[in-house]
Amino acid sequence: MKKINILYFVIFGLLTSSCVQESYNQTVTVILDVSGIKDIKSVGLRGDGKPLSWDEDFEMKPLIKDSLYTTTFSGKTGYLFAEIKFVVNGEFELKDKDNRQVYFDKSRKTIYKATFNKND
Amino acid sequence: MKKLILKLIKPEEASWAMDIALAVPRIVYGYLLTAEFGSPKFGLPWSDPDKNLKLFEVAFWFPNDVAEYGGIFAIMPAFLAWMAAFSEAVGGVAWILGFQTRIFSLLIFCTMLVVVFVHQIQYGYWNMLPGMGILWISAISMIAGSGRFGLDYITSKWLSK
Repeated sequence: MKKINILYFVIFGLLTSSCVQESYNQTVTVILDVSGIKDIKSVGLRGDGKPLSWDEDFEMKPLIKDSLYTTTFSGKTGYLFAEIKFVVNGEFELKDKDNRQVYFDKSRKTIYKATFNKND
Repeated sequence: MKKLILKLIKPEEASWAMDIALAVPRIVYGYLLTAEFGSPKFGLPWSDPDKNLKLFEVAFWFPNDVAEYGGIFAIMPAFLAWMAAFSEAVGGVAWILGFQTRIFSLLIFCTMLVVVFVHQIQYGYWNMLPGMGILWISAISMIAGSGRFGLDYITSKWLSK
């Protein structure tokens, strides 16, 4: 009987020792090289976790038209990285391949540079 | 205390066939609850390391989702999110083992009530079916206990001596 009571205390201790995963604000700046692609009408970013979504583009704006595009997004996260893919003219890159993993910098400001359809 | 524990864990007497019929869905759904639904949002040894969850931690996004239900969920989202994730993740293991089947079935029952009638109802009846399946199994397990195929059966035998 005492053993059962001890077991319940151990379980209760485990339960109360932790609660909600720690999260923090993370700002990510993404720079995408799209040079070589013709007739660019839209460049976007898709991914998991707010404000990104897999259903709608998060708009990227040109640093240099038809060459370099960029965007910055912020959000609260507890994860170590975000999964993303780029979309040009509504077409996903890296079809049938794994998503890109953007690992967050400990400074909470991450800069990620990539080339469309090339996962380095 | 011993009487209370016995009352909680002693399974209803039933035939072998009935106990098998109780145990199979309980164990299958127990596995799905802990491995597929619970572990991505609750820290367990088999949670994906990429989720960065510590042991028994609920994922950072889950209390926010729970708060969006409004009412009591907005008053104590962290506690209710933790309880829901715990009941799925740890309750699933308890269902597999047949450990404290009635208590964990009650927790899973409450969680599934919310899943079905607060969350999934907005997506239509078809989306309510998986949660309802688990809801019925938890209701039956609350009454019947673990049957022969569970630690509760062994423990209740030992305590009855």
